[in-house]
Amino acid sequence: MKKFFAVLLILMLALTALSGCGAKDNSAPSEDPTTDVTTIGVIFIGPVTDGGYNQAQNEGFQKVEEHFGDAVKLLRQESVPEDKQSVKSTAINMIDNGASIIIGTSFGYMDALEELALEYPDVTFLHFSGYKMNDTNFGNYFGAMEEARYLAGIVAGKMTETNKLGYIAAYEYTEVKIGINSFFLGARSVNPDVTMNVVYINSWGDAALEKAAAESLLAQGCDVLTQHADTSAAQVEAEKAGKFAIGYNLDNSKIAPKSFLTSPIWHHEVYLIPTIEKIIAGQYVPESYYGTIKDGYIGLAPLTDLVPDDVKTEVNAAYDKMKEGDFPVFVGPLKDNTGKEVVPAGSALTAHDDIWSIEWVLDGITAVE
Amino acid sequence: MKLIQIKKREDMSRKKELLIRIVAVFLSLIFAGLVIKILGYDPLNVFSSMVNGAIGTEIRFKQTILKAVPLIITSLGILVAFKMKFWNIGGEGQIMMGALGATFVALNLPDLPRLPLLGLMMLAAIAAGGFWAFIPAFFKTRMGVNETIFTLMLNYIAIKFVTYLQYGPWKDPGSQGFPKVAMFSKNGTLPTLFGLHIGWIIALVLVVLVHVFLNHTKKGFEIAVVGESQETARYAGMNIKNIVITAMILSGGLCGLTGMIQAAGIEQTLTSTLSAGYGFTAIITAWLARLNAIGTLVVCLIFAVLLQGAAYIQISMQIPAAAADMIQGIILFFVLGSEFFIQYKVSLAGRLAGLRPTRREAA
Amino acid sequence: MEAVSAIEMRGISKAFGSIMANREVDLSVRWGEIHAILGENGAGKSTLVNMLSGIYRPDSGEIMIDGQVVEFASPASSIKNGIGMIHQHFKLVNVMTALENIMIGRRGGLLIRKKQWKQEIRDISDRYGLDIDPDKKVYNMSVGEKQTLEIIKVLHQGARILILDEPTAVLTPQEIRRLFQIVRNMKEQGCAIIIITHKLNEVMEISDRVTVLRQGQTVGTLTTADVQVGTLIERMVGKRLDLSIKRVDYPGERRPLLQVDGLTVRGQDQKIALEEINFDLYGGEILGIAGVAGSGQKEICETIAGLTRAEKGRIFFEGGNIIGKTPRDIIRLGIRMGFIPEDRLGMGLVGSMDIVHNIILKDYQNQPGIFLRRGPSQAKARTIVERLDIQTPGIHYPVKKLSGGNIQKVLLGREIDSDPKVLITAYPVRGLDIGASYKIYDLLNEQKYKGVGILFIGEDLDVLMSLCDRLMVFCAGRVAGTVDPREVSKEEIGWLMTGGKEQEPS
Repeated sequence: MKKFFAVLLILMLALTALSGCGAKDNSAPSEDPTTDVTTIGVIFIGPVTDGGYNQAQNEGFQKVEEHFGDAVKLLRQESVPEDKQSVKSTAINMIDNGASIIIGTSFGYMDALEELALEYPDVTFLHFSGYKMNDTNFGNYFGAMEEARYLAGIVAGKMTETNKLGYIAAYEYTEVKIGINSFFLGARSVNPDVTMNVVYINSWGDAALEKAAAESLLAQGCDVLTQHADTSAAQVEAEKAGKFAIGYNLDNSKIAPKSFLTSPIWHHEVYLIPTIEKIIAGQYVPESYYGTIKDGYIGLAPLTDLVPDDVKTEVNAAYDKMKEGDFPVFVGPLKDNTGKEVVPAGSALTAHDDIWSIEWVLDGITAVE
Repeated sequence: MKLIQIKKREDMSRKKELLIRIVAVFLSLIFAGLVIKILGYDPLNVFSSMVNGAIGTEIRFKQTILKAVPLIITSLGILVAFKMKFWNIGGEGQIMMGALGATFVALNLPDLPRLPLLGLMMLAAIAAGGFWAFIPAFFKTRMGVNETIFTLMLNYIAIKFVTYLQYGPWKDPGSQGFPKVAMFSKNGTLPTLFGLHIGWIIALVLVVLVHVFLNHTKKGFEIAVVGESQETARYAGMNIKNIVITAMILSGGLCGLTGMIQAAGIEQTLTSTLSAGYGFTAIITAWLARLNAIGTLVVCLIFAVLLQGAAYIQISMQIPAAAADMIQGIILFFVLGSEFFIQYKVSLAGRLAGLRPTRREAA
Repeated sequence: MEAVSAIEMRGISKAFGSIMANREVDLSVRWGEIHAILGENGAGKSTLVNMLSGIYRPDSGEIMIDGQVVEFASPASSIKNGIGMIHQHFKLVNVMTALENIMIGRRGGLLIRKKQWKQEIRDISDRYGLDIDPDKKVYNMSVGEKQTLEIIKVLHQGARILILDEPTAVLTPQEIRRLFQIVRNMKEQGCAIIIITHKLNEVMEISDRVTVLRQGQTVGTLTTADVQVGTLIERMVGKRLDLSIKRVDYPGERRPLLQVDGLTVRGQDQKIALEEINFDLYGGEILGIAGVAGSGQKEICETIAGLTRAEKGRIFFEGGNIIGKTPRDIIRLGIRMGFIPEDRLGMGLVGSMDIVHNIILKDYQNQPGIFLRRGPSQAKARTIVERLDIQTPGIHYPVKKLSGGNIQKVLLGREIDSDPKVLITAYPVRGLDIGASYKIYDLLNEQKYKGVGILFIGEDLDVLMSLCDRLMVFCAGRVAGTVDPREVSKEEIGWLMTGGKEQEPS
């Protein structure tokens, strides 16, 4: 066997020698100091055609490419797992190929990017959905998805006939709980009788699990489904059952035209384009960006024709207030589902850190299997 | 009637073996090249970039080594079990449990001096990985439970358990609600040498140790005999249960050590993705190395070249990940396929005979 | 030339990889003839007849059946041409009756033709002197009955040429006698019968002509009545051999080394495999054990060697009870007992390992420390190879690549080397050629002369009777009798083997 691999290696080396010039050509352009092209490495957790999370990320980067044209070159790497070795290896290979900006689009990349920022002070690292940063070359960005979910909740609260909503959630932790509560608050704001069932599927992008969870929620009498997970399975399932669904990340009106109402969505380019401009200009100062509807970073996919006009009006009214920057989602008094008061009357959660401490779910929400 | 006859070969000249391998390599390159061509790239350029991307510069070579280290140690673990014909498919789970054991120590004793802390982490990792392998070994020896399924299933339990810890009890309160385990203290991380964490030194030492263990100790001899024939082992007065359990604890312990090295050398914490498939890849490498410790070192290094080369071309040439995986797959297919043809003889004679009617019947 | 032959094979060659199993073999069998094919293991006998039965196709050469050239694509076309093959291992379905076994794979409705078939079977039985109960289940049959059933099966398929592959290996002398009678009846009916064997006395007794194969080639076809046994051996082995087995006498004092007392053992299926076995094994004797296969031979060996747990009873080795001791205990306590198990490569040796490591197998337990010391065993391996004249490219050669005889010599050599007082040997010459077998007998006699007590499990009664000092006959897990082989006939032993149930044929 050893011999075998020796043969293999020798052959490969021979090929290298044969096409030695070709090989050099590969790495040459990036090292060429005369060009003005900025190379950006983007690391994705899954395929960019996944019809969900990664596709939404990539749509942002496509806008970046449109905006900058030939001034930037994107090196994409799909399906990079979250172990630090994979992430660092990918990033280093990108830097090796001339990247001066590395953007990681999954939470699990955070520690790797933090380390890389130390090892490569000349490269700027941006991280989506994390909380770590440094003073020189490592920043993060995320958004107030609770706003969009609140708006989507209004739609759901209006559209439900059984007064039972279904929520398919990935994992039980703060980010997801924020979404669950804000969606529910939106629904309650227009429909005081509404309750909500939540299924945790303990996975981000497993269509089979999302489908099973959707079936289960529909069987429990939920007639508007939404999800904080990455595939469109729930919307398809709802369509089959003749019920409604609200997506996430992408406008899926074409995938499930008879069930899809709207989606809370990201406008990543709103953050990326100006930030990359600053980095190229050498003016970037690391920050923890938290985009909102007001900033245009968070949005709602156009309400489909399944949504009656009066509902549209109501949603648009709330949207306009948010656009003004004057519409807190978590306004007291709020009780969690154990009966404990979590936000007292007369106060509201507005500070980022307060919202990102939520460990409760509201009264009226039941976690089910 | 058999269409194809497959027979185990007894002897094959070394010349012929070498020839088959060379042919396999050429075929793999031709087929991989065809795929690359169809995808619209220049095959020669891609192949040379792969090699260049794996060993072309110091930084790339280091990447390769970092990929080889966990593969080598896990392969050694798998090797010990496979030598005994105990099909340990549970490397993933044992890596996870090893990482979990190391993390438990690192998080609870963060202020210990570096050497004792790392030592304890290693012991905990070996113990936890060994325990995870002991479970199927115990049931195999007491009740004859099939170890393949058992070890495979334990993988999922371990990974899910770590996920649970990451999202639950072990979630770092300082992580702002995000699901992650706290980072190790500085003393809980592996020191570096020549710009690489010392996992590579551990791997080299282990290659020698495992080689000596398997070839020059009584226990190693017993493992080989048990693997060849349990009846012979019984006849020679060996305590088979004891041997199986010891070897599996060792196998799991080595895999567990991989978990510790990845946790302390790379992640500096515990994550549910840490095992990264090494437990499965190591099955291929251990097998290709013909269950030989020194061979494992060589095979894993070359395998790492393949991995890093493929990773590199994905970025430098923006070849889709799926295409790079295909190239790897094609090369492996031919390499493993050639091993099959070296060990077995396949003939179609029976079929041809079957198609021809007998003269008597025809008459 | 006379009338057409039943079988005419001309210039048949067949290679497996680089090994030529048959090279230009000629065979001619007449109708109404019993034709023996004689040869050592590996001489190409089975390959040759497997080409007749359609399992293999010859690489070159020509087969004619009843004067017509044929090519067999499969066993089915061989059967169609009237050839019936009785394999060494019967191909019967245990849970079915004799009739059902005959009907398997045949066309026709099960219910409709059952009566008709029974009549046909009765006709065949009457014609050839066969005797079978069509409704008896196979698992209730003795080995002889199963063989009879196989014969009826192929006759019912229309066979006029019968090939028997080592048919007597598993039979008692009485059963052999009955088989031969059947074969003679068939001959009288004009059938052609081929018997493959390596037992010379059977060739002499039954066959009309004999074709001898050696190393894949035809040595010649002889008329049995005209040849001497010695000539056959010479043809078969390629050299002269003295075929009388010596029985040496032990000059020393006879004292019991191994005493088995009231031993009862359950087999793997939890059924009683040995019941109340009592015997003494003396130093300087060869105590033979005869019996139909599966009468408890395996269990007695493995229980003495400590591999199988006894239900009750005691085993004394030089006065000390060793019951319950594992092989490990036996090695560690220095109990000088050697064991040549039936399954050489599956139990006695590790096939893929070399001679040195197979010697270490029995030595390493008593080595100090955790490291394996190969040095002493290497020296030992060299000595054994030299003393037993083992044909091997070297001591670092995998034993499974050696020939059967040399494999057995490695095993025996290792066991003798530890200077045992008791040597247990299970079928030590099974599968060995004549020369190798005699070498083993000599080695055992040599040990006996040194005062070793040898337990010899055998299958060839002629060998057992001429080698052993005493012969213990096992029947269904019990000792049916212990006899002096110099004073009894084969038939009497056969009678004991079947527990006296077997009636003497009138």
